Amino acid sequence: MSACPRGASRSLCKTRFHLEYLHLQILSVISAEQLRRMFERRMNFDLRRLLSGAEPLMHSLLTRIEWDLAMSTSSLHCLKVEPMLRKSIADALVPTSKIKDILYVILVAEERVITLVRPKKHSIHPSDLHVLINTIHAPSIMNSSAAASWLPVCLPKYNGSAFVNAYVMFLRRDAEMQPSQKDGDVESSPQAGPTTSSSVQSNVPKPSREICLMCVSGSADFEAVRSWCDTASQRLTNDGLLLALSDAMDRRETEYTVADLGIPGLRHFVYKSRPNVQVTMPLFEDPYDDLKERRRLITLYQRLYDAIHAKSGQGSTLKLQYIRTERESVMGWITQFFELYIALSPRLPKSAAINAANAVARWVQKEDKRLFLRDAPVF
Amino acid sequence: MADGASGSAERSVQVKLVLLGEAAVGKSSVVLRFVSNEFQANKEPTIGAAFLTQKCRLEDRVLRYEIWDTAGQERFHSLAPMYYRNAQAAVVVYDVTKASSLEKAKTWVKELQRQANPNIVIALAGNKVDLVQPSSSSPASPSPEGEEEADDATATPGEGAAAEPESLRQVPREEAEAYAQEAGLLFFETSAKTGEGIVEIFTEIAKKIPIEQILASSRGAGRAGAAGGRTSGQEGAVNLEENASKGRDACNC
Repeated sequence: MSACPRGASRSLCKTRFHLEYLHLQILSVISAEQLRRMFERRMNFDLRRLLSGAEPLMHSLLTRIEWDLAMSTSSLHCLKVEPMLRKSIADALVPTSKIKDILYVILVAEERVITLVRPKKHSIHPSDLHVLINTIHAPSIMNSSAAASWLPVCLPKYNGSAFVNAYVMFLRRDAEMQPSQKDGDVESSPQAGPTTSSSVQSNVPKPSREICLMCVSGSADFEAVRSWCDTASQRLTNDGLLLALSDAMDRRETEYTVADLGIPGLRHFVYKSRPNVQVTMPLFEDPYDDLKERRRLITLYQRLYDAIHAKSGQGSTLKLQYIRTERESVMGWITQFFELYIALSPRLPKSAAINAANAVARWVQKEDKRLFLRDAPVF
Repeated sequence: MADGASGSAERSVQVKLVLLGEAAVGKSSVVLRFVSNEFQANKEPTIGAAFLTQKCRLEDRVLRYEIWDTAGQERFHSLAPMYYRNAQAAVVVYDVTKASSLEKAKTWVKELQRQANPNIVIALAGNKVDLVQPSSSSPASPSPEGEEEADDATATPGEGAAAEPESLRQVPREEAEAYAQEAGLLFFETSAKTGEGIVEIFTEIAKKIPIEQILASSRGAGRAGAAGGRTSGQEGAVNLEENASKGRDACNC
């Protein structure tokens, strides 16, 4: 466990948060309904039997939760993409009326959402999305040579008593792992010879460069979903959208640094757009490229989050919280429209932190369309 | 039937194939070997099911295997019908070092014979045979002696290294083979690790698949009528005969 800096309530709160997510991941595998029935029948039921094979999902979730600020802020993390490209991609992914029971069509790259097409009547809960993203990045799916995977999955916030099916198709694999892999090239020949996969699973968050198309369907009609997804991915390829996205990723246009904002003393920030339930942040750079440093910063962010949401038993929420340590100063600020957490050099006065926060908010609002998913099509 | 065969020589025939078997017997590794000629040690368990395709040339035909590699965990069992319902072939895998996995394989075979397509071609594959072979000679292709009488071969005294791996074996080849024969299954001992027996499974399945029937049914009613409909056992027989003279490794993927 990571350091829980102060007080039992804070670490309790964090532990509870981890357990809640773990619970959701377990539900995604066996559904709340099944879980309830099991324990009704036998109080001492050993869950491990039912979960066998799903252990990697639990492990990756626990690693993810330590580092993923979109999870800890209960929001969706979008990939930074040019608005026109995002819109064209979304338009290509709107299902035809012929295909029934489609719930969500989601394009994910670098573990972030590019677009999410959904029915008019319901949106996706962030934690359902995180469970899905965690699931599709399980090594057995992401590193598989399969053209696609078809996963029964329960989305606990959507419907805890039923399974839906997720069709998962990687349109691009990690370029570093498979340099020759072309989009949609699923019929490799056995003469290709064994390629040594050098993917070392380590406990650090690694930037992944996959592009994954996921279609969540309430129906079990695999062939219908597959043929639609094949058509949709073909459309992304033929219209040059996949290439445009892929190029943007290769040119690192899908990420940004604090330097892009030009705010003196600013080292990092996390901005959550409350109406969109989405979060954006720059890369973790020096000193936070070091994992120990990054963990310290994330812990500080969590303290701010706790304070402004009164998550650790505080009497009331705070609008603004400023903490200065000898390593950095951080500030959390909540308004009706956003939550903002910033990290600055500890040498700056508090007034500079306020100015920086305002400048960040202005910049994000200006870049709004690139950073967030807005007006995604519904059907 | 010969006219049918020559008339659609380059048409690729889609064959749906499902892999079933207990968890951790190596289903995904068998497919990975077949599709990519790769092997990964310590593969993570499959979640749900993976879909793969591989083309396979058999004589003048191109078969396109659409493969469902299913997860072996018990909780996925109820989903299996979704995958085998329309399958023309099934590979049921067990682990030669684990007796219980053969029992599980038998229940899969029973289920398939009861509920799957009546013409389904089923192959039984005893995987991980590399573990019960002397490490010095784990052949990547069938050994020149022809029959793999591993049991007898390792009985030769003096080879300590040979005796030890054989002791891992929990399913004697003869037992599984006898069962397969009785149940009307193709039978192979395989090693996804060395590649032994892998291509053979898919080749032998390809030979047994009633390709004409698949073509006929996909070609539409007129042609299907001419070919004598779905129940004609003749077409399958003709194919088998044709291919019987061919050597092994006809599956030129």
